[in-house]
Amino acid sequence: MIDIKQQNELFGLIGEKIKRKIECYVIGGSAMMYYGMKDATKDIDLVFENEKDMGELVHLLKDLGYKEKDTKILYLKKKNTPILLERETRFDIFLDKIISTVLSDTMKERTRAVYEYNNLIIKVISPEDLIITKCATERAGDRKDALEIMKKTNINWDIIIKESIHQAELTPYLFPVFLLDFLSELKIDLKADIPKEILNKIRKISEDMLEKKLKNPRKKQTLS
Amino acid sequence: MKKSIEENLKELEGLNTIDLIAKKLNVKKNTAIKKICELKKLGYVETQGGGKQPRLYTVSRTKIISIGNPGLYGIINKYSKIKLVTSFNHRIIGRELSIEEAIVRAIKSKEFRVILASLGLFNKIKNWHKLYHFAEKENVRRKVGALYDLSRETIKVRRMDSKTRNLLLNAKQEEKYIIENMKSKDFKDIEKTWKVYIPFNKADLERYKE
Repeated sequence: MIDIKQQNELFGLIGEKIKRKIECYVIGGSAMMYYGMKDATKDIDLVFENEKDMGELVHLLKDLGYKEKDTKILYLKKKNTPILLERETRFDIFLDKIISTVLSDTMKERTRAVYEYNNLIIKVISPEDLIITKCATERAGDRKDALEIMKKTNINWDIIIKESIHQAELTPYLFPVFLLDFLSELKIDLKADIPKEILNKIRKISEDMLEKKLKNPRKKQTLS
Repeated sequence: MKKSIEENLKELEGLNTIDLIAKKLNVKKNTAIKKICELKKLGYVETQGGGKQPRLYTVSRTKIISIGNPGLYGIINKYSKIKLVTSFNHRIIGRELSIEEAIVRAIKSKEFRVILASLGLFNKIKNWHKLYHFAEKENVRRKVGALYDLSRETIKVRRMDSKTRNLLLNAKQEEKYIIENMKSKDFKDIEKTWKVYIPFNKADLERYKE
């Protein structure tokens, strides 16, 4: 586990060592720590927009003694898996896509904070987008995290709904269906404060999308 | 009954004055001040104004951890008369952003409002050599010189030493546009001296005179 202080020290070291400016987005528990929603996280999830910047960080981390780990152990046969680099902490490094989610331009525009550690520039995605990245996974920890985000911030549900539709355009997945499943589970099992009309709205969008897909099955879309 | 911090945050979320806080929490003004101080210490409140202006409190349920030092927007908002509103919080970790570097960064941003607001930073410059150093590094020496002359037309700015001015003037092979395709109707003389195009007209600088 790593806390915000240790994460800052680690980013500080990377920023000092790296030779040119590189930018990436922080998601997951690492991002939640910047919002004060979590005290510690087990891994640092970073998303890069370009391969060159990502390669630079991977190279540096290897120089610092981080060892590459087999992705299959954690992500089985999933697509868009990260490069895993481990020492005392683990870095999960993604390139543009986070398993079933794409780091979209709209997500990038909603960046809430930018932290500059010398040559390492860390951008923190918005709480709404943190929920989006968590809704297409099956991990119980992600549900707990999403609940914590909802408790600690005033969620703009419109952003989440629009982004889920946008994700359905960018990925082969019926994203609003994922979202509906995810939020319904949070409401029923974890008693999350999600307005009923929001769930109804997402249900309607999901049904329309499913209906459209059934009418036009040629368009490659999958549910899992 | 004493309310929990989360309940207070829920009620106060958004922009408030102290009177509004007292009204929302149904407490006296003194208690409201105490409550808001408590929340501020925990990192849920940002303040604006004070002095001649009424103090405004922005309460957020999300605690933004303020690590490091202010970034470009923070520096501009601290020193310039023209303030910027940003959707994100920019912080610099491990060092402080100097005013000299902030000016160069503002130019590099190529954003109209950022460059306009950065003109207000010229009167805070103490080290002209440092400004030259950053301008040289980013190859924006003529642009810095032109914007310095422009700032002197609007606000009170210390005189740049002649050595720095000549060094800036002697810069070669630099881009002519500060912002692509934008030229000034009013500052032709500055444009001629520095061989760069100023993206502002007199009307844009009016806000510095208010």
